[in-house]
Amino acid sequence: MEELIEILEEIQPGVDYTTCKTLIDDHILDSFGILSLVSEIEDAFDIEVAPAELVAENFNSAESLWAMITRLREE
Amino acid sequence: MSYNFLAYFALFLPIVILIYQVVPQKFRFVVLLIADYAFFILISRFLIVYLLFATVLTFLFGLWIEKISLMEDLSSKEKTKKKRKVLALGIIINILIILVLKYTNFFGGAVVDFIRIFNKNVEFRPIRFLVPIGISFYTLQIISYLTDVYRGTQKAEHKIVKIALYLSFFPQIMEGPIARYHETADALFEGKPIQFNNLKFGYQRIIWGLFKKIVIADRIFPAVKYIYRDYYMLDGSIVFFGAVVYTCQLYMEFSGAMDIIMGSGEIFGINLPENFRQPFFARTAGDFWRRWHITLGTFFKDYIFYPVSLAKPVKKAAKKIKEKCGKTVGKFVAPTVALFCVWVCNGLWHGANWTFLFYGMYYFVIIFIENITENPIKKLNEKLHIKTTNWLYRGLRTVKIFVIIVIGEMFYRADTLKQGFQMFGRIFSDFHITQLFRKFGTLRVDWLDIFIAVLGIIAVTVIGVLCEKNIKVREKIDGWKLPLRWALWLGLIMFIVIFGAYGSGYAAVDLIYAGY
Repeated sequence: MEELIEILEEIQPGVDYTTCKTLIDDHILDSFGILSLVSEIEDAFDIEVAPAELVAENFNSAESLWAMITRLREE
Repeated sequence: MSYNFLAYFALFLPIVILIYQVVPQKFRFVVLLIADYAFFILISRFLIVYLLFATVLTFLFGLWIEKISLMEDLSSKEKTKKKRKVLALGIIINILIILVLKYTNFFGGAVVDFIRIFNKNVEFRPIRFLVPIGISFYTLQIISYLTDVYRGTQKAEHKIVKIALYLSFFPQIMEGPIARYHETADALFEGKPIQFNNLKFGYQRIIWGLFKKIVIADRIFPAVKYIYRDYYMLDGSIVFFGAVVYTCQLYMEFSGAMDIIMGSGEIFGINLPENFRQPFFARTAGDFWRRWHITLGTFFKDYIFYPVSLAKPVKKAAKKIKEKCGKTVGKFVAPTVALFCVWVCNGLWHGANWTFLFYGMYYFVIIFIENITENPIKKLNEKLHIKTTNWLYRGLRTVKIFVIIVIGEMFYRADTLKQGFQMFGRIFSDFHITQLFRKFGTLRVDWLDIFIAVLGIIAVTVIGVLCEKNIKVREKIDGWKLPLRWALWLGLIMFIVIFGAYGSGYAAVDLIYAGY
């Protein structure tokens, strides 16, 4: 999780990722940011993110992102 | 018939509402479907066969994809491979139909023009195809449904009637919004009774839409028509004025039609997805497209931008460039390739003309520049201690976006690319602001037209500011005392009746997006 927060801070600094749950809803991460994030987490966690995963429920918070990463690693 | 016609909101819609309400709940979906097909036939006659064919095809392909998912003797990889082939086939058939009907002449002409470069004497005779209404909209709905079934985010539908309702809902068939299956299909089938509040709020929104369309858009239309026809002999200031007026006309018309559509849906308890969110308050061109024709933008984002960005060859190329040129450059590769595909599709979706393709490329270049300059500008602002919340900064930003939008619409409305460039050129080569005031009387609108249109635009802007602040205007008004409330709505109706651009001296203006 710490590694994920580091990636997030590098892509979009100045956000409290431990509490923020509206990264998509409040347009903190736009589609460009989402793609940068996907590219980074694919490399860091050795997973493959499909287009179907790019939904607000998976990207609204660090927590939901981590849940997606964990699920994709298990698959 | 069109959504802004008396025959629609004062006859067709009330009849459907009445029959829908008196029929038992389990048969209401039948009423809706008959209304959907009746509306379609009234406009496109026998071309309904295209819609029926698309409905059957969508239903069967959805089931086919589901069937593959349930095959126990196949591995997950094999299933994905098979499903992908079926999805591709389903999409290709639908795209081919629209390509033949709408783009044969465009591509045929382009190919012939290309061959002529090599001095070969070839000819292409344009073929006149009859195009059913809404094909550009329901085709995108089909693609979204089939892709969602393929991705597993949507279950395949086992009732063909639900697919039929989803693709043909009469308020949205002509102009969208482009809804996802889960957003409307169940509600359309359920046949909930019409609630008084839905009827009230629905018709209020229809009145607001008519105000935008009939009072503002149609009133300024003669000036747009005249300026775009005679642009070559008009001063640059008048040409620019024409582009500004057209931008206003397009917004008032399209968003007004959306209000009528959303209001119609609301009456039946169908919450169609919003298509506009105060687009002129956008901070960037990218932001503008998140606020203008939202459902088209989200469609392209979910079904082109993300899949292209995450496609293996694109990711591979991005990785290679990242290794060679560094992270800063590498991170732009995949999104830029995808962005290019999005704007080619967006341009062509709007019509078979080079002007639309140029319009798409225009936004591709602007959004690309915005993306690569975002961080340097942020750093520069910090270094120079420029406050981006400052009213002057925000004001200049709004002007910049407005100019970008107006120039885009100038090309979008032009008949040919040559006309677009000539109009653009006149702004810089022959611009005398005094000419605009001197020749104002010849622009096919008088001061009363402008006064009423400006009054209307101010009203729409005020409502826009309130919506931007998340204030629910209709609900607020509903809290007012009865006489005040009635005075407002009756006043608005009277205003439309008195100042609407219809009757003698005004020709009925077709909905622009209904042609797509």
